[in-house]
Amino acid sequence: MHKIAEVEIQHDIMLANKRLAKKNQKILNKEKVFAIDVLGAIGSGKTSLIENLINEMDHQIGVIAGDVISKFDAGRFKQHNVPVVGLNTGKECHLDAHLVEHAFSDLPLDEIDILFIENVGNLICPVDFDLGSHIRMVVISVSEGDDTVEKHPLIFKDADLVVINKVDIAEAVGADQEKMVSDVHSLNPEVKVIKTSLKTGQGLQDIIASIESFIKEEQI
Amino acid sequence: MHELSMADAMIKTVIEVAEKNDAQEITEVSIELGEMTLLNPEQLKFMIEVLSEDTLLEGAEIIIETIPLEIKCQSCGYSGKTSSDELDHYAPIINCPECESMELEIITGRECNVKSIKIEKSDENAQDS
Repeated sequence: MHKIAEVEIQHDIMLANKRLAKKNQKILNKEKVFAIDVLGAIGSGKTSLIENLINEMDHQIGVIAGDVISKFDAGRFKQHNVPVVGLNTGKECHLDAHLVEHAFSDLPLDEIDILFIENVGNLICPVDFDLGSHIRMVVISVSEGDDTVEKHPLIFKDADLVVINKVDIAEAVGADQEKMVSDVHSLNPEVKVIKTSLKTGQGLQDIIASIESFIKEEQI
Repeated sequence: MHELSMADAMIKTVIEVAEKNDAQEITEVSIELGEMTLLNPEQLKFMIEVLSEDTLLEGAEIIIETIPLEIKCQSCGYSGKTSSDELDHYAPIINCPECESMELEIITGRECNVKSIKIEKSDENAQDS
């Protein structure tokens, strides 16, 4: 004879990630590390932007380079003589708090002021997964088309800083950069949106100033 | 897009609980999925079914209940349900139904919860549900 029983579980997979993310932020705060989750589409310029910030910012910087195969970006960061951990997600389309926690043990957190966590190039999946960072910076570029914000609203709703990159080629690719800025503001009225070109250097100092003001706010 | 990792995490949870309860078979799994998660219920169900092969979970009925979006408006204080933009279910644009503000706190709609399971166990181990 068999009997059917109902067992309550109430285990929220998202909450489990959120709890780990909170733990990560505690570790970061204890070590006085300000962490930035860098999100954006493939080829929007996330890696180049972080390379530029490493060169221009007056802070000790560390990088977690997340990618399906991370050795390519990790190799680029290593050339700048900063501590780097490559995180291979394999089949996965996003980083999660658990993977990031593992990366912490391979980084000299006590020597780092700012930690960039470069997420997998994707405007969809990373939205659901907090990593424990202090801010989320979303990087898009005009070459993805000026409707990219409208098509991926959620990532912009949660963003703390939005970078619209490659504005020097906006005309060539027929993208209306002002439309992209106003699309972001209609989803997230308070967020700072910075237009950049890493070729000409436009906007880079504005990003640095914005990050510095976030660091002040967090009092890290 | 990350339905595979979600399905995998859910299956691990379900099988762990089933084994602790001396289940011989899992007949039903109830899952709550928030409307705002970027997860497709049909894909999630398919992934669970594929990954369940040769486990206690194989053949179980997978029930996915969608949890509607509830918000608290930061501008006018409205609290309750709102409708998301039906044009694109997986990337809803939401605003307050009272004042149309987009400054909202999401109260429900981001769940990805394994709620309960039904298991079959031999009589001497069974407990009333």
